[in-house]
Formats: sequence, structure tokens, C-alpha cells
Amino acid sequence: MDTQTRSIPRPHGLLSELELLLRNRFRFFAEIRDGVELPHKIQAMLLYSAISLALYGAVMGSEHSVWQALASSVKLPLLFLITLVVCLPTLYFFNTILEASLGLSQNFALLLAAITMTAVVLLAFVPVSLFFLITTSQYQFYKLLNVAFFVIAGWIGVRQLDQGMRMLTAGDRRGARMRGRLLRLWILLYAFVGSQLAWTLRPFFGAPGLPFELFRGLGGNFYTNIFASLGELFGFFTVR
Amino acid sequence: MSQAPTPSPEELILAMLRDVLGRQEQEMRLAAKPAPPIPPPRASTPAPAAPPLLYEEGAEPLSPAEAQEIAEFNELAVRPLPSSTLPRTLRLLVAGLVVTLILINLPLFNSLALARALPDRQALIIRDGLLLKGSGPETYVLENGQKRWISSLDAFDHYGYQWDEVHLVEDTFLHQFRDGRPLHVLLKCGGSPHIHRLENDQKRWIKDIPTFLAEGHVWEDARFVSCGELRRIPDGAPIPPDAGPPPQP
Repeated sequence: MDTQTRSIPRPHGLLSELELLLRNRFRFFAEIRDGVELPHKIQAMLLYSAISLALYGAVMGSEHSVWQALASSVKLPLLFLITLVVCLPTLYFFNTILEASLGLSQNFALLLAAITMTAVVLLAFVPVSLFFLITTSQYQFYKLLNVAFFVIAGWIGVRQLDQGMRMLTAGDRRGARMRGRLLRLWILLYAFVGSQLAWTLRPFFGAPGLPFELFRGLGGNFYTNIFASLGELFGFFTVR
Repeated sequence: MSQAPTPSPEELILAMLRDVLGRQEQEMRLAAKPAPPIPPPRASTPAPAAPPLLYEEGAEPLSPAEAQEIAEFNELAVRPLPSSTLPRTLRLLVAGLVVTLILINLPLFNSLALARALPDRQALIIRDGLLLKGSGPETYVLENGQKRWISSLDAFDHYGYQWDEVHLVEDTFLHQFRDGRPLHVLLKCGGSPHIHRLENDQKRWIKDIPTFLAEGHVWEDARFVSCGELRRIPDGAPIPPDAGPPPQP
């Protein structure tokens, strides 16, 4: 199976890589496993995930001002990329210690594939987010709606990562179960790092009544803020 | 049949010694512990034809479900892709979204962009530090659910507020907050031990430290000015009002 994927003809180009990921992710994973055009794949995924996330960020920031839209369109791709870079070594060494035969670039490509999938799902949500941006005025509702979109897109991305990892390491049976458990732990770590970094890079929406600011002072955390927004949305208390 | 030649005593002794040594060697071999397992080969060395025993020991067999799943993955991976309009659709979606984003951010409606055109889009987040002004001249800052009156322009500047941060609201909105301690600026000059509170463009002498503390002031709120400047500010009632005539700085 190792070089089977090399012999299958298909169109080449950056957009074709994205198409392959969306339409036949199994072949995409097989090509990552076989090392088929890995730099080309990484380049395509970086480009399209950045475009999708930038568009989504711009929509989120438009709720506040043009400056916020521009800032969020830069910050959102950065958020995903930095989280990936921070968490990649952990995954790589987990896999290496547990005798998976994946190289660093294959681990990177696999993670990038998960992020690209998340980004494309978010891109698909952009029209819905735009619709609610124009037709509703409740800041807390809009914020939570977008958090829900992120949860859905993130879940799809993480599921794909799990599937891809199982496919890529199917031949490495030694330590396979432990790898599975550690991957789930790693996903938790990834979520924690991502949410903390999102909190550090905030605002993405820009609170109404506040002037534009590129970064807001540290304080509080992502989870208490979501809890407070839920409380205000359902009328339990007012965010102060 | 010819008889074999009789061995000499030396040859007999040598044969016996060989026999004893051979038996001892055999016994030692049997008694010896098994040899340690061969370590796995390093990455740089060429892989052996058959994997060493150590690798096989820890290998986890595929469960039937896993094996089926992997087989399905592999089968799907070699399936050819029929042509589709996905790349074109993606390009159109991205282009359409970029155009829409630009349009909704253009100030087309009374210098308001569509993204922020809804009347209550400017809704306030009630938070500490929010500046509010009703129909009267007073400006307030919210703190711990209370509205604190900012007693003078000097106090407003002293605390670093900006006029474009002040939100005009209805009086009924203001009334929902309890009144907190007013926000004053305290004035002091280097040549005088007295401290004054600026209020309605008048300086009010604070009689002593217990009064100063009882009024909730902190030393950080004091601003140093020249004594001449302080003298030019008209006197108001001292704090407390029965403190007597205020001393001049």
C-alpha cells in the first residue's frame, strides 16, 4: 500500500489539494503517509486555512468596526497557527516514544489538515454569521453563536485528526492503544492552549461601547467569560 | 578381523580428559541463563529482513472492527475522484464573501455601515469604568454597580477619561444605578500642609486626616499644583462644614 497512492492520477494544484482533502480525505491521509507532495500539501493547507480563517475573523470583527474587522482577520489565522506550533512537538514526541513511524512533517501535515478542515467548515458558516451580524443586535447572543460555530468546526477537525492518525499509524501496532489514549489527551491540551491563546489575543469581536483596541489587558479567562455571557443572555445576571 | 591397536596409557588419559571437559562444557551450557534479547536496531542501520522478537512482543493485534475500518480507509483511498465543481464553487464563495464584507463595512447609511446600522447595535456592555451622561450636566462612571459622579473637569481629566467615551443615555437608564461616592480630585501645593477637594470649581478644605480617610480619599488622588494657582480657586464650604474658616495655602 505504501506507494499505491503515487500511481493514482489526479489534477495537481493548490486548490486540488484542498479538493482532495474535502472529497477524499482517506486518500489525502494515504498520500501524507506515503509522503506524496508533502511540501505542496502543506503550502496549500496553510494558504486556504489562512484565507478561510481571515474571512471568518473579518466577519466577527465587522460587528464592531472596520479596524476590528482587519485586526480579527489577522488574529484568527494567527491563533490557529500559533496553537499548532505550540502543540506540535508534544504530539510528535508522544508518537515517537510510542513507536509510530510518522515524521515531524507528517505530524505537521496531519494537524494542518485538521485545522484546514476546521477552517473550511467555518468558511461554510460565514454566510450564517453574516446574516446574524446584520439582523441581530445582541452582542452576547452573537458572540455565543460564533463560539458554537467554532465548537462544531473544531469537533469536525478533531474527529478528522483522530481518523487520520489511526489511518497513518495503522501499520505500527506496537503501542497503538496507548497512542489512541494519548491523542485524546493531546486534543484536550490543544483545546486548552487554543482557548488560552484566544483569550490572550482578544478582542476578536470588540465589545460595543468600547473603543477599538488591538489587544485587551489580561484578566479573567475564556471559560468564565463564556459562562458570564450565557448568564446575561438567559437573564440570570448582567455582565459588569 | 584384525584387532584395533591398544591405545597407550597417555592416549587413554587424554581421551578421558577430553570426555570430562566435554561433559562439563555441556553442563555449563545447560545451567547458563538465557541470553539477553537483542536490542532493536538503530534507525541508521538497515532494517533486517524479519523484525526482531522484541518488536513482536508488544504489538497489539487489530481488532476485527479496526481491521475492517482500516480496510475501508484503504479501499476509499484508492477510489478515483470524479470531476466536480468544488474548486469553482469555493472560488465563487470566497469572492462573494469578500465583496459582501467590503459592502457591509462601507458607511452607506447616514455614515453608518450596514454591519453596525441596527439602532441598538450600539448597545452598551454594563461594566466598571463605563462613562454615562443623562439629560443633566453631570457625568458618571460606573463602579461595582453604582454610578459615581465625576465632580469636576479636573477630576475627569485626572482619572484619564476621554469625552468620546461618554455615552448619552436616558435618565431612566441612569436611575437604575445607586449613587456611589462622588469622584473628586484633591489639590495640594508644596508650601502648605493643607489638602483641598475640588468640587463645582471651588476648593473645599479637608480639616484633618481622620476626615480625609472618612471621606474615602486616598493619597494617590491628590494632585500637586502651585500655591498661587490653588489660591486663585474660590473657597467652598470646608469639610466638615463646621470646621471653621479655611486656611489659605
